[in-house]
Amino acid sequence: MLEARGIVKRFGGLVAVNQVDFNVQEGMIASIIGPNGAGKTTFFNVLTGVCRPEAGSLRFGGEELVGRRPDQITALGMCRTFQNIRLFGNMTVLENVLVGMHTRLDVRYVDALLRTSLFHDAERAALKRGGELLAFVGLRDVANEVARNLPYGAMRRLEIARALASSPRLLLLDEPTAGMNPAESQALMGFLRRVREELKLTVVLIEHNMRVVMSISDRITVLDYGEKISEGPPEHVQSDPRVVEAYLGRQARAH
Amino acid sequence: MTTAVAAIDFELLGRIFPRVLVDGILLGFVYSLIALGYTMVYGVLEFINFAHSEIFMVGAFIGAEVLLILQAARVLAASPPLLSLLASVLAAGVIAGLLAVTIERVAYRPLRGAPRLVPLISAIGVSFFLQDLVRMIWALHRNAFYLTYPPIEVFNQRFPAGAYALWGGAAAVAIAAIGWLMRRAGRGVARARFESLSMLPKYTSIALGIVSVGLLILDPNRVLTVPVKSLVVIGASLLVLSVLVYVVNQTKLGMAIRAVAEDQATASLMGVNVNQIISVTFLIGGLMGGIAGALFGLQFGTVNPYSGFIPGLKAFTAAVLGGIGNIPGAMLGGLVLGVLEALAGSYLSLISGGAFGAEYKDIFAFSVLILILIFRPRGLLGEVVREKL
Amino acid sequence: MTNGAAPAASSTRRSAIPPAAWALIALAYLAVSAWSSVRLPNSLFAFLFFLSSLFLLYYAPVATVLRVVLGAVALLLLMPVIGASNAFYLEVATQVGIFVALALGLNIVVGLAGLLDLGYVAFFAVGAYLWAVMGSAQATVAFGIAPLASWWFFPFLVLSVVAAGVAGVMLGLPVLRLRGDYLAIVTLGFGEVIRVLANNLDKPINFTNGPQGISPVGRPPLFFLDAWNRWLAGMGRAPWEESAVYPFVFYFLVIAVVAVVILVTHRVEDSHVGRAWTAIREDEAAAVTMGIPLVRMKLLAFATGASFAGVMGMLFASKQYFINPESFTFMESIGVLAMVILGGMGNIPGAILGASLVTILNLQVLKDLSIWLNGLRQAGTIVTLPIIGSYNLASLPAQLEPAKYERMVFGVILILMMIFRPQGILPSRRRARELHDVAAAGEVATNA
Repeated sequence: MLEARGIVKRFGGLVAVNQVDFNVQEGMIASIIGPNGAGKTTFFNVLTGVCRPEAGSLRFGGEELVGRRPDQITALGMCRTFQNIRLFGNMTVLENVLVGMHTRLDVRYVDALLRTSLFHDAERAALKRGGELLAFVGLRDVANEVARNLPYGAMRRLEIARALASSPRLLLLDEPTAGMNPAESQALMGFLRRVREELKLTVVLIEHNMRVVMSISDRITVLDYGEKISEGPPEHVQSDPRVVEAYLGRQARAH
Repeated sequence: MTTAVAAIDFELLGRIFPRVLVDGILLGFVYSLIALGYTMVYGVLEFINFAHSEIFMVGAFIGAEVLLILQAARVLAASPPLLSLLASVLAAGVIAGLLAVTIERVAYRPLRGAPRLVPLISAIGVSFFLQDLVRMIWALHRNAFYLTYPPIEVFNQRFPAGAYALWGGAAAVAIAAIGWLMRRAGRGVARARFESLSMLPKYTSIALGIVSVGLLILDPNRVLTVPVKSLVVIGASLLVLSVLVYVVNQTKLGMAIRAVAEDQATASLMGVNVNQIISVTFLIGGLMGGIAGALFGLQFGTVNPYSGFIPGLKAFTAAVLGGIGNIPGAMLGGLVLGVLEALAGSYLSLISGGAFGAEYKDIFAFSVLILILIFRPRGLLGEVVREKL
Repeated sequence: MTNGAAPAASSTRRSAIPPAAWALIALAYLAVSAWSSVRLPNSLFAFLFFLSSLFLLYYAPVATVLRVVLGAVALLLLMPVIGASNAFYLEVATQVGIFVALALGLNIVVGLAGLLDLGYVAFFAVGAYLWAVMGSAQATVAFGIAPLASWWFFPFLVLSVVAAGVAGVMLGLPVLRLRGDYLAIVTLGFGEVIRVLANNLDKPINFTNGPQGISPVGRPPLFFLDAWNRWLAGMGRAPWEESAVYPFVFYFLVIAVVAVVILVTHRVEDSHVGRAWTAIREDEAAAVTMGIPLVRMKLLAFATGASFAGVMGMLFASKQYFINPESFTFMESIGVLAMVILGGMGNIPGAILGASLVTILNLQVLKDLSIWLNGLRQAGTIVTLPIIGSYNLASLPAQLEPAKYERMVFGVILILMMIFRPQGILPSRRRARELHDVAAAGEVATNA
């Protein structure tokens, strides 16, 4: 469903992403791993339209994404979370989720002004769905709390719920377990499986936590210095000498 | 209908051009001095010091006050004019600088780390507060709404610049020669220090050369005269700008300022006292703003508590034009804006047959600002800044 | 869902006093304050007492119906009665109303969408000049047409909304991509451009009549006055003068527009649009990633805010009878900003409170202070201060007149609020929502 060909992204002289091909099939959990600074987040930024690649094409469900704005890409059914959580801190948990539904609310400014029945129906439906999503991520009880007061793990889940609110077909998660302890990571993995199974979603994941990656991914792509050095099922990647070199080699040098 | 275009007197346009250019350069230097305050503070704090225009205005008031005191003490006419000027400008600079530091301590430092708009709004508050504070002080002190600079006789005479063009050219060649000799003589001994010193004759000769050649071309009849006052203002601005460039590029303090501008956290890890450097930055910015105020007042004669606003806004435009945060950019931007504005102010009404008067020069400056921000937000010399996700 | 902006939390907190008692207290407060304002027509405190009753009413935990009825009685009945005993209070109330609408408009732009607009007064000017030019003899000078008949006043109320909204979009389109602080400066520049244009567009074609301004600006027709005066004559009473009726007409017009503005603000705020604006304010990058079209939403905020200013500008021009560019300076923009910030960014009661406080401070407190100081000066009062010693106020410079120190007031408000209470006197509170209609399915998913 997502098909990236020859993506190149440069910042000045630095080539952050170099000639990367990346495909995702319906229903899979695909992971992107790589050492720090390998270009993973930049690649996400290219996918979601935050930055425009210098070269390459990007098709999602038959539509070309390059040149579209991030909000248009979200409307097409692809939504993301951020590495460093970016919630709307002064809005309530429920409102955060409602914002995520923006592209799915088929009401106009005039409807809001005149309080048409269309508006009331849409708001009611949105509230209902917001409640369901919050229940799904286990945050219904704190729906009216201000988001910045949530504990860390709840913020992560809220960010995912907010992304789910835009009814994506493809969910992009940027290091969802960052800053979590092993038990929390384990719980999050279970949660991701449920996302795939109950919501029938395709997931792309950037992750540092190898245990998570290896146990959950259908396919792993390894980036290093902006280039794809390996791709395949977990066992394949685990035994790829180039991957070992990229990680261990560098670590060995660093220590 | 048919002769509307013929009404433009091209000969007149050409004749006034050198004078317009001098006015523009003068204005440009004043803008540069103010713009440096904006740009340096932006460099270290990424914050528009909205109150900087009032620092400038306070400088203009102090400058006038010093001259008025000298006049009242009957020493103004007796003492050498440059000495009076020095006293006025220095007092203006020092007090404005200290004021800038105080403002930072009181109204900006408590807000560091708050969302961007918070310190900006506080700065707007400071700006408004200072306008009326100055108004109140001088209402109590002199029962006056505005101050008039007392005349200094010599400054109001005119200097026959056109007649001296050839001499200027000769001087440029001579200074260039001295500079070359200095470089040769200094080879090997205390090289780094010496090299920066030999920059002085180099740039002086280049500037003088450009001016002389320009005069020879633009004023073939050698009739151009320039008010001595304007020359003094231009000279003083050049001097202050050179000292600033030296401080920022050649001294340890300058290095610390640049380090803080680059990356506060790293600079503090390297042992730089960030708060102190920020204070110093405000001090230098205020100093230059104050000096600019005194020079501006000297040139244009009167100041009132609200007369800082428009020059301040234009200087900010100059800073953005040059690329905000960029010191050479601020100087360049100031000069470009000053010259453009002088051209617009003189020619707009002549070309449009009086339909659009000189009042539109303010609109002109704002339009420049808007156009740059839209098409080249990093300015002439700035770099791209991008937000991290 | 709780309706209206009265937070549900307050009723539970103050539950020690029963609602019926609250209703009585509010009623008594309102009655006493109105009565004292009429009885003491020159007492500022009595008037402030009356105005504060409206806020008490707003926060009193009484039934919404009662709140609305009492509010309507206070504004539509009591205020005009007070105004009849002291015309100046009616003028103050009208001005407060005008600034309430401006503050609500700017509140949308700055408070909700987080876009610092320093040239907001430009939209006020657009509305004002639109009607001032078309509804006065200036129409003949500028366009060679007869001034529009007075009934055009009403279509122009709508037209000024549209014109200011369009001006908002036109300004917004090129500049809304700029980062926050640049946007502030550019809007400031735009405000100045509009003022300079108003000042100078008396040539080559005289549109605005330059610094001399335009007078007399057209006023709305008084359809009812003839019939009323005939009836009065029938009763053997003196007829009402037009000039005496207009202040009341403008007061009611302003109140009507403010009511519409509050309704619009409330509805927009409590919808997908308001949520999108708040999201943009909170985190622009995250908002766009969640599918919010930044430019379109920001333009909407600009246009909505501008349209409030446009219609009030038109009312202002007509009420003042005379306008010139001096009414549309940067200081006015900052004044409105100070109102929004003082009251509390992002919420309706905050903007209303801020506008009331700042307007009264400017119109009354500073002026009274000036008069008081002048009195002391003329009486040659001698004050004795520590350190300074005794000082004869007769030697106080004439230039020192508190009424002229509005900027200082605005400045102090902005600085102190930013340092000590950036959220304003009445911080905005997120509204709690009930979720009871949601199916309990999936509740097991706690602690994922």
